[in-house]
Amino acid sequence: MFTLASIGQVLVNGASLSAIYVLVALGFTLLFGIMRVVNFAHGAFAMLGGYALYYFWGSFGVPYVIAVPLAAAFVAAVALIAERLVFRWFYQRMFQSLIGLLGLNLALVYSAVLVWDVYERSIPPAFAGLIEVYGLLLPTDRLMVICIALVVLALFWFFMTRTRHGLAMRATAQDLEIAETQGIDTVVTYRIAFLIAIFMTALAGALYAQIYSLSPFMGDRPLLVAFVVVILGGMGSIPGAALGGVILGFTESFLSTFYGASVSSFASFGVVIALLIVRPWGLLGIPETARA
Amino acid sequence: MKDAVLRVAGLAAMLLCLATQPSHAQEELKIGGIGPLSGGGTAWGLALNRGVQMAVDEVNAAGGLKVGETTYKLRLVMLDDAYTATGGRTAADRLISLEKVKHIIGPIGSPAVLGALSATDPSKTLLFSDGFAINILKNDSHAAYNFRSIDTTIEFAPAMIQWLHKNHPEVKKVGMLGPNDATGQAVLPMLAGFYKANGIEVWTDSFDRGAQEFVPLITRMMAQGVDLFDLNSNSPVDAGLMLKQARQVGYKGLIWQVGGPSVAEIMSVAGPLAEGFLSLEMFDFSSPAGQKFAEDYHKQWAGIMNVQTPLWYNTAKILFEALRRAGSTDVDKVRASLIAAEGYDPGIIGPVIWGGQADYGVNHQLLVPFWIAGVKDGKEISLVKILPEKR
Repeated sequence: MFTLASIGQVLVNGASLSAIYVLVALGFTLLFGIMRVVNFAHGAFAMLGGYALYYFWGSFGVPYVIAVPLAAAFVAAVALIAERLVFRWFYQRMFQSLIGLLGLNLALVYSAVLVWDVYERSIPPAFAGLIEVYGLLLPTDRLMVICIALVVLALFWFFMTRTRHGLAMRATAQDLEIAETQGIDTVVTYRIAFLIAIFMTALAGALYAQIYSLSPFMGDRPLLVAFVVVILGGMGSIPGAALGGVILGFTESFLSTFYGASVSSFASFGVVIALLIVRPWGLLGIPETARA
Repeated sequence: MKDAVLRVAGLAAMLLCLATQPSHAQEELKIGGIGPLSGGGTAWGLALNRGVQMAVDEVNAAGGLKVGETTYKLRLVMLDDAYTATGGRTAADRLISLEKVKHIIGPIGSPAVLGALSATDPSKTLLFSDGFAINILKNDSHAAYNFRSIDTTIEFAPAMIQWLHKNHPEVKKVGMLGPNDATGQAVLPMLAGFYKANGIEVWTDSFDRGAQEFVPLITRMMAQGVDLFDLNSNSPVDAGLMLKQARQVGYKGLIWQVGGPSVAEIMSVAGPLAEGFLSLEMFDFSSPAGQKFAEDYHKQWAGIMNVQTPLWYNTAKILFEALRRAGSTDVDKVRASLIAAEGYDPGIIGPVIWGGQADYGVNHQLLVPFWIAGVKDGKEISLVKILPEKR
């Protein structure tokens, strides 16, 4: 039945799933951590990232290493319009943002339906082969996602801990008023955080669309995954998103392979529910009382 | 002076309008349409909308539909059911009560069809639906006013699996993954029965609708030693991803789909990994009629044409012919005319054949020829044409 090679395959599957989940959750948790915004339009920005990559890489033939960040940057730049018109009104308003951004999500998704129709597209793969190592099959597109997730995490860690803007973001996330009294321009900080969050969301969406498929409705699943991952890791916590993504990815890979999808879903959501009862702020989150 | 000029200009405009108005306006006949126009099933809803609209446009361009002494201009009133039972019921209610529609094409999904039936049956409104649930035709009212215009698993699966058994005798065990909802729970046991009847062992598992990551389940399936992977009735994108991911983790057995059909979409998602894939196909795009239809479709819409589009066009043409032959829009007369229309050829798929008596207790299932298609050198090719058995 299950050989050593198939168990190794489970580990490989878990690593690639974790990488996808971490990437998908990063932008979501950043917006919440800094601005207290529950971005229900997360999936729509991920979808726009997919379409941007479809054009830059699939249609215009921009080299892949440039096309991926270019697509994410393009979406982030265009999203500044949404920041000015919609997001700005919901900063530090968690519950209002939830409903308001759900509306934005619907508007973006059905605008996409009007522009691109509903049919599924596929973004041409940049790496389509398989690498075999000691009987283990490693799809190169999944390996690429693992590498990108590691690079993004490293760059993000460097930005947050080693740059002035990163420091300003952490200070703003901890206490908005104190940060302002210390001379931090929170408007600029918010804008930078927004740009980075949407950049990462669009980047994740572009890779997600390339691995799976691209359509106006593709954002639903990344939104659900992002929610589960950040609740598990702790809303607003970047290390929490990384930890949550890894736990969810490996859990899903092991349980689905050995016990089936139903057991996997039951266990994954069961753990999230149990965690919300005993530690509502997640594994690496900060309790609201500690923030106050 | 200015007022006088304005009055004269207004009068002239009125006279011009009156002069260009026809002596009597053509009477309008509304045809109802129900399908998912939002959410994940939108591609199917648009296929219905566009297929019926093409048939309506064709009739109107030829001067209208002559029913008895009246020549009607047709108008499609299309409503969204969001692929839900409540959506189907609400849309049917609105078409019947507000739009005064007597003939409805759609819905597509079983929950929406059953929802719509609860409104169309009591009001004696004709319904031409899809939906794989048996009780769409096999129900207490003996499907008095509803017909199904697309083959279901019962029509195509036995013949397909027999073909497989004959042409691929090496297949001993099949694996299937299906959504853990009403569709999956209805289709997988049915298919399992057909496979077992041909001596093929069956392994199945289910997943949450909306999931796109199937690698862990495929790894699980491969550990069971299956030599055939049936993508069954999974949606085009799910089926495409299953195929792609199966090949990516080294599954080397045969992959085919007794369901769908969605060969073009699967090729689009899986790319070169779709090579060797076999599938049900419900329309021959390479035939002259198929090529002409695709050409007409692409004059209005870009992108991939869903295979259901010509099937709904075919349904609309059959309804229009029944109306013409009945010489009346009266539902009972049109129903009788429909049943008597066996042999009429709408010119796109083949002549009308009604079946289903043995399976549903009523001959209201349109038997549509289907194909087993394959992907060779990156192109779809038709391998064999099969006509469902009339029982």
